[in-house]
Amino acid sequence: MASWIIANPLIAAAIGCAGGSAILLLWYLLRRPALSHATKLVLLAAIGVLPLATATTGNVAGFEATKARRFCGSCHVMTPYQNDSEDPHSPALAARHARNALFGEDNCYACHADYGMFGTIVTKAGGMRHIYEYVFHYHDMSLEEARRTIHIRKPFQNATCMHCHSTEGPSWNAIKEHASLLDRVRGGEVSCASVGCHGPAHPFSKLEDVR
Amino acid sequence: MTALRVSALLTLIGLAFMVWSMIEPTPLPVMLAMSVGQAFGTAAFGIYLWVVVRELRREYRRVPPQDRS
Repeated sequence: MASWIIANPLIAAAIGCAGGSAILLLWYLLRRPALSHATKLVLLAAIGVLPLATATTGNVAGFEATKARRFCGSCHVMTPYQNDSEDPHSPALAARHARNALFGEDNCYACHADYGMFGTIVTKAGGMRHIYEYVFHYHDMSLEEARRTIHIRKPFQNATCMHCHSTEGPSWNAIKEHASLLDRVRGGEVSCASVGCHGPAHPFSKLEDVR
Repeated sequence: MTALRVSALLTLIGLAFMVWSMIEPTPLPVMLAMSVGQAFGTAAFGIYLWVVVRELRREYRRVPPQDRS
């Protein structure tokens, strides 16, 4: 764990600030000094400045942590999705993207993020709903029941694919299916992840008749 | 100062939530750090400011009006 903290400067800084604050607070609680100007300044650092620094760096580190696949996979109903993404032999669309260094450990976020103007906020707000749903509805659900019950809330947007695959490149347009469906793909009428095209990103999660 | 001791304790609890979320970045610790932890920290700092402002006002009242700058 120590190497992981040292490898993340934000986390190391946050824990350092929290440690400094805790030392000053314990000194105040145990020694009970008079409330002089010096004590007020020490408490300003211990209750104000250092915790604020911890919260700021901790928030940034927290937002980064929520992008990681292991974060998504920490809810048990997402375990099959995480395992499939980490399977080096899986032919699934999600797994193939996970093997791409540009996606790597953050492949869940890369494909499920909203890339609009307020995309990060919208994505995080959606994540809050996921936590709510998990805690109150899916916490005790079996994996098989979860596979049948849990579905993506809105149809997967081609715009997410087009964030990387712009549909402008000559190699993309050289594929005749792409060229013939260009407008319908851009307009979202034909899904990139439909069965006749690239197929669902998580095929194991679909019912038998969709596979 | 009881209020400041409460403030110090609230800060320690808030910091514990934040550090927990960094050591174990799973949904529950991260959510608790960003909600409960930060609420505790904000409340603690509010109490600190309230105590300091109250002290400053007391000191100000102790000074005779003709000596105030």
